[in-house]
Amino acid sequence: MLKRLKYFLFICVPIVLSACRHHAKPIPIIDFFKTPEKVAYRISPDGKYLSYLKPYKDKQNIFIQSLENGKGQMATMFTDYSVRGDYYWTYNNEIVFFQDVIADDEIKMFALDITSMKVHPVISQKNVRISIIGRDKREPDIVTVRMNKRDPANFDVYRLNIKTGELKPYLVNPGNITQWYPDADGKIRLVRESDGVDETILYRPNDNAPFKPIIANNFKTSVKPIAFTGKKNYFYALSNVNRDKSALVEIDAETGKEHRIIFESANSDIQDYSYSKNTNRIELVGWDEAKPQKHFLDNDIKNIYDKIDHELKGNEVVITDRDSAENKFIVFAYTDRNPGSYYLYQRSDCKLTKLGDINPSLKQNELCEMEPISYKASDGMPLNGYLTRPQGSKMTNLPVVVIARDGLFGHTGWGFNPEVQFLANRGYAVFQVNYRGSTGFGKAFHSAGFKEVGGKIQQDITDGVRWLIDQKIANPKKIAIFGGGFGGFAALYGVSFHPDLYNCAIVQHGLINFFTYIKDAPPYFKPMVQMMYERVGNPETDAAHFRAISPVFNTAKIKAPLLIFQGARDDRANISELNQFVRELQKQNGADKVKYFLKPMERTFFKSQANRMEMYSEIEKFLGQNMRMKN
Amino acid sequence: MKKQATTYRKSFSLIITFLVLISVTFIIALFVSYNLNVKYVENEFDSKKIDVQEQTIKPYNDFFQNKITEITSYQGFLDSATAARYADSVFHDYNFVKRIVFYDVRIGNQKNSTLIKNHLGISIEEMYQFQPKNGKVDGIRIWNTKGETDFDQMAAKLGNYIAFSDTTRASTQDEIFRTFYDVKSDKISFSNILRKEDVKILRELQKHPNSASFAKQDMMTFFLDPYLLEVKNTHKELYQQVSIQPVVYDQPDNPIGTRVTEVALPGAFSDYKLYFLSGPDYLNAEIRRRFMPIVAMVLLIYCVLVLIGWLIYRNLNINIKLFKLQYDFINNFTHEFKTPVSVIKIAGSNLSGDSELTERQRKQYGRILNEEADKLNELMNKLLSFTQLENRSIDIKKELIDVDTFVKSYVETFRIKYPHFKITADIDNTGIEPFYTDPVLLGSVFQNLMENAYKYSHPDKKQLEINVRGTKKHLSFSFKDQGIGIEKGELNNVFKKFYRIENQYNQNGSVGLGLAFCKELVNFMDGDIIVNSKVNEGSEFIVTLPYEN
Repeated sequence: MLKRLKYFLFICVPIVLSACRHHAKPIPIIDFFKTPEKVAYRISPDGKYLSYLKPYKDKQNIFIQSLENGKGQMATMFTDYSVRGDYYWTYNNEIVFFQDVIADDEIKMFALDITSMKVHPVISQKNVRISIIGRDKREPDIVTVRMNKRDPANFDVYRLNIKTGELKPYLVNPGNITQWYPDADGKIRLVRESDGVDETILYRPNDNAPFKPIIANNFKTSVKPIAFTGKKNYFYALSNVNRDKSALVEIDAETGKEHRIIFESANSDIQDYSYSKNTNRIELVGWDEAKPQKHFLDNDIKNIYDKIDHELKGNEVVITDRDSAENKFIVFAYTDRNPGSYYLYQRSDCKLTKLGDINPSLKQNELCEMEPISYKASDGMPLNGYLTRPQGSKMTNLPVVVIARDGLFGHTGWGFNPEVQFLANRGYAVFQVNYRGSTGFGKAFHSAGFKEVGGKIQQDITDGVRWLIDQKIANPKKIAIFGGGFGGFAALYGVSFHPDLYNCAIVQHGLINFFTYIKDAPPYFKPMVQMMYERVGNPETDAAHFRAISPVFNTAKIKAPLLIFQGARDDRANISELNQFVRELQKQNGADKVKYFLKPMERTFFKSQANRMEMYSEIEKFLGQNMRMKN
Repeated sequence: MKKQATTYRKSFSLIITFLVLISVTFIIALFVSYNLNVKYVENEFDSKKIDVQEQTIKPYNDFFQNKITEITSYQGFLDSATAARYADSVFHDYNFVKRIVFYDVRIGNQKNSTLIKNHLGISIEEMYQFQPKNGKVDGIRIWNTKGETDFDQMAAKLGNYIAFSDTTRASTQDEIFRTFYDVKSDKISFSNILRKEDVKILRELQKHPNSASFAKQDMMTFFLDPYLLEVKNTHKELYQQVSIQPVVYDQPDNPIGTRVTEVALPGAFSDYKLYFLSGPDYLNAEIRRRFMPIVAMVLLIYCVLVLIGWLIYRNLNINIKLFKLQYDFINNFTHEFKTPVSVIKIAGSNLSGDSELTERQRKQYGRILNEEADKLNELMNKLLSFTQLENRSIDIKKELIDVDTFVKSYVETFRIKYPHFKITADIDNTGIEPFYTDPVLLGSVFQNLMENAYKYSHPDKKQLEINVRGTKKHLSFSFKDQGIGIEKGELNNVFKKFYRIENQYNQNGSVGLGLAFCKELVNFMDGDIIVNSKVNEGSEFIVTLPYEN
């Protein structure tokens, strides 16, 4: 009898234990990566209508919903090309929007009259880029657009009458002006000139005076004007001139001198702001710490946010649009487990109505939390990153996928990331780090990453993995590294130089050669070349270093299983070089250890749904094969 | 007497025909296989050259496909030092590279460029020449860069590519080959392959005609020496000598019978060929070497055939014997039948001949007729039982035998059959226990042994002495005659089937089965039979049987 009981226990205990260690049920891949259903919600200036984009026969079309009777209808019926995401309401209830006819390289601009629901073409231009930069309440039929009609390399500013289609040149670009800042009267007195690296802010006191440069920056400093304050010729700007982290400041346009600091954060660059045209005031500023942070500069808006925050606890809330009366607001709320939902907030009765979800097939409670983490690199540099653990009771000794970011000098923030959620759902803890060189943490942190490719930048990733192992979070025998572009380089570098740390690597449009990376800086574009050399290295003086770190020269060191994805039409990739790289690896490690998917019709990022699904199912299979062994 | 046509036939002519036929086949097989072998080797001589070519050209292919393209990985950023290191690795791994010229190229808005296309000049910034020297690389800068035809041609191609290639799609392998490679006799020029992004950037550069900036491009020309290619003769058995020769090379003064073939070299070596030569005897040796196993094989098959033939012949022989056995068996039994039949016949004729029969005579003839009829019946049973005996499926029908009466009845029978056959029977009744056996089987033994005693005796010495003695367990019957006897060496053979001693006494219908049959019967009855004999004096057969078997 006792023996029987023992036997019974023997069977039952593992069953109970495995039930405890439950995994969330796998969500189909398509649910993570499907195109959003309803996006780009906007509200009409009179607050009577909502508009949004929704696919109709696979193409985005404009839909209108009346807020008075709740009736919704489809306003456009394009089946050839989608409506572009940047559409606007004019002040007299018309919607102006664009359609990009890629085959003819033609951009068509239309206007939709909301009362008659009629669409009429405004202009259509071949071989020209066009976009709206401003609208004016006093002249509702006129929109300010920028267009490179005169010179393909430079955009000029025009005033376009959407009723008649009349196009009046307003400001001829002397060259390189990339941004125009209309003042309260719609006049452009402040512009930003940029060649992509170096920036100059120019100012003119009135339309007839010439622009004169007031501030010049190179790639290390930046001044981003926002708008005139309305007081003297002061304007708001985000600037990190003479300080480490960008702050919201007021600058005197006459001299370019900083007048006062309005707000600054001790830890991060101020990157977001919200500006109200009604009050000519900055309502709030935002920055990224572990999670997005806000500081309100306007009590009215603070009250609104407080109320919404109260209703949508745990969500990050952003007001994306509002009517002229500032009564109705379109609110976008997201979390790490929700790609985003749209709400309508009515200030008069404090009512918050849900409009729609970006991806309704994902359930928040089935997704995984993105926890901010921080650790110290081996040289003492404090680093921030994120860890997304799979659902379930098991919190330690997890298989880990390290995602190395593509943008070498970019920023990883808190929020929904389908790739991360997909991997976490499949049972992997996902680790992301803002290694040195990342932006958003001030100039010093950014420049600490200069010329540290394959050096301290990689060390930061390695240190992060070691930290995870020390914290007993990671199973040291089950770690994969995954990345696209520069991340692909980091993954290949990781398996080459830390083969004991990683089981396998997944590479999307991987950077296998740093000479190639440098070559992306056009030679005539001196500042960019300069920036490249300073940030990454000079191919002539640092050739040995590039050779030492570039995977293409180090095939012999790569032994781990690899999964490589590449679009054959990727402009920046040297396909023959990559093919050869893969061929050599396959010869060396065996074809089954190097899986290579070269998609002939794809560019850098896979656009075809089928290819993307295949990619992620291959990733799932590959990780399954290489992370299961050696428990 | 003519032999029966229905018996098995041995045909020596058939055997000989068979042997001749397979011998002829053997010779033809050898001949045909030799010729095929010659053809095969000659074909191989013509076809295996591809293997040699493949092996010989392998380093070149590796160089062309892997090493040259490594330049692309530098994306134009090669300088003289890096280029020298690269050249060193080339010289180290590919000894057929004699010399490398490295052009550090600028693409930009240069007024004094070698080639100007759509405002874009392609010019040599620096030019170096590398040569291997004592295992190291020896590089010199060449200052006069005018009139570099290799460069000019490559630059023209490059210029065209930058100007006209379609950046909306990926370049095909063919376009890449035609633009970035230039393969000429003994030399290969290569410039790093441009990405679409590079082309776009270069086109942008055209839009800045006054910019002094330029893009960098690397170009290398490799000078190759085909004679330094190591010939890898992977088929030494076919090719006596493999050499690299100019494509027009021909040697007409080869001795007669020399075989020659050639295969062109690819790519930069297309002016040369691999020249394969084998002397007249060289291939023959190879043919012979390959022919030997075939000969062995054919010979083996031949031997197997002969062996099979012999086995068939042997089987036939045995079959003939078996046939004869059957025949003789019938013969033998016919004789057995003859004895009672002739006794009946004599008794019958006596009965009809004697006009008056005494009461004694009538009774005697009646008894004789009765007895002989019984014997015939027994014989028929015996015939049946003999086949059963052969198959060991006989049932012994035991009954109590009165030995005295039994022996005497046979003596009487033989006296009537052979009137001048002197038979004496001495039966020692004192030691005899009641004896149970099958009278038919025992009768057969008596019949045979008495018949033999009569047959193998001189006509004037036909005598037989039968002694019956009993011991505790056995009863023994001895048949002693005064016959011709058996030689000592034959004593062991007389009980074998079909064995008979050739002499004048057994020419009619004897098969040598009698004694074998007797032994078989005796053994069947759990008894034993032995023989003692002396030539010309007589033989004694002693049958020992248990009282109850």
